Amino acid sequence: MKALCWEGINDVRVQDVPDPRLVNDQDMILKVRLSTVCGSDLHLLTGHIPFMQAGDVIGHEFMGEVVEVGPGVTRHRPGDRVVVCSFIVCGRCWYCRNELYSLCDNTNTNPAITQHLWGSDPGGIFGYSHAMGGFRGSHAEYVRVPFADHTAIPIPDAVDDMSALFASDSVPTGWMGADLGGVQRGDVVAVWGCGAVGQMAARAAQLLGAERVLVIDRFDYRLRQAESAFGVETINYAETSVGDALLEATGGRGPDVCIEAVGCEAHSTGPQHVYDQVKSKLKLEMDRPIAVREAIYHCRKGGSVFVLGVFTGLVDKFPLGALMNKGLTVRGAQQHGQRYIPMLLDRIASGELVTNHLATHVMPLSEGARGYELFKKKEDDCVRSVFRL
Amino acid sequence: MNTAGKALLVAGVATAAAVVRRRRRAPAGRRSGQWLVVTVNRAPEDVQSSLPEDLARWRDQVELRIRPATGDKGTELGVKPVGDVARHDLRLALRRAKAVLEAGEVVQPDTAPTHPGPMGRALQLVTNRAGGGGRL
Repeated sequence: MKALCWEGINDVRVQDVPDPRLVNDQDMILKVRLSTVCGSDLHLLTGHIPFMQAGDVIGHEFMGEVVEVGPGVTRHRPGDRVVVCSFIVCGRCWYCRNELYSLCDNTNTNPAITQHLWGSDPGGIFGYSHAMGGFRGSHAEYVRVPFADHTAIPIPDAVDDMSALFASDSVPTGWMGADLGGVQRGDVVAVWGCGAVGQMAARAAQLLGAERVLVIDRFDYRLRQAESAFGVETINYAETSVGDALLEATGGRGPDVCIEAVGCEAHSTGPQHVYDQVKSKLKLEMDRPIAVREAIYHCRKGGSVFVLGVFTGLVDKFPLGALMNKGLTVRGAQQHGQRYIPMLLDRIASGELVTNHLATHVMPLSEGARGYELFKKKEDDCVRSVFRL
Repeated sequence: MNTAGKALLVAGVATAAAVVRRRRRAPAGRRSGQWLVVTVNRAPEDVQSSLPEDLARWRDQVELRIRPATGDKGTELGVKPVGDVARHDLRLALRRAKAVLEAGEVVQPDTAPTHPGPMGRALQLVTNRAGGGGRL
């Protein structure tokens, strides 16, 4: 079959790879219909996460049709249309039972790597390096789905393929930021990053009762899209002081909840940007936590900061003093998708949650490399490239 | 490769080195009296009555401990080597036993890429042993 493979730093190509097969009893084989790029893929492309092998199939946000199930699969059958959460989960360990699905104990086949890095191993992810299990990704004609009963979720008839696609990752990730960030009715919420995840976090905050939602980015086309789709307020940090704008919007208090949806390769302006660039050039810095620093600094006293962006290791100049003295709650997670996806599909079906505008560039898999190029360079107002198979 | 990449790669190599070092050492029972423990999200009686073969086959060479976990978190399943058994093998056995008890099976990785390249082959040295490494 054809698949989009990581072949080296900034080098992805469509290759012929062996078809997947049922390996475990609880596996199923999915014919992928739609698979989208994600900002976190860029960390693989740039070599920021080095646990890749040439020939690894990438991609982790997808939906499709079931074509084969193992004898241990009871909830799906061939012909079913499903969305597959990017995290593979067993559904029965303590973390899964407590809806902390991305922390599943039983799905990372290479636990030693992340145990040494982070102290414990999170669950496995499709197409996201051998540190996260080494599972093949979804930019392929077919994909094996382990623990299919728990990893894949049926799509209601009222939800079209493209809308369902984003329920795989960006929608539940964004929702989780607002939910576990503790958004309350009447809150002012600030979201750093206006990609798909940031937009979904902003919409989730609205639906959870936030009175005002402000989204921060440097790309006007993305800010305009969020404003148009959801009526959020926007701040272009390249043109406006984020701190001044947030103070003005909150009566001098700062946002109640700050959601970071940028990650470890953040950009900025001013002295902080220069500082981080110099540190990067001198090879003295690992992740660039610029948006996290800003979120902590600008959050109101006693407020909440949620880190949605992907980080890999140690960060520099973490504002611990602000965190402690302002009495902040800081929390982060990879998405606990299975906790939210059924509810989110219902909200998509009802029309209160719109997602398909995120698919700005739909193309065949054969144009996968171009899709990533557009997405990485933010060319042609690209928010998400989507591969149709 | 950038700094983060190098740092992570160093961590990977360290993992491999640690695993290899541990395998070459004398059996852990002589090195340390510490237990290797996993928490299984099943009742103690379930664990006792259906100990998976992955772990049961070591029974003559380990001391086995099964006790309730605090806070209703299931069962602590621990082993301490008393015979000639490597901690790497016991980690692997514990993880596999936990997976079987909780999820019914041990998830297998997908097939490796056909052309991993030199860096990929180095990484395979790490991942081939990562199932029995780590902090457990």
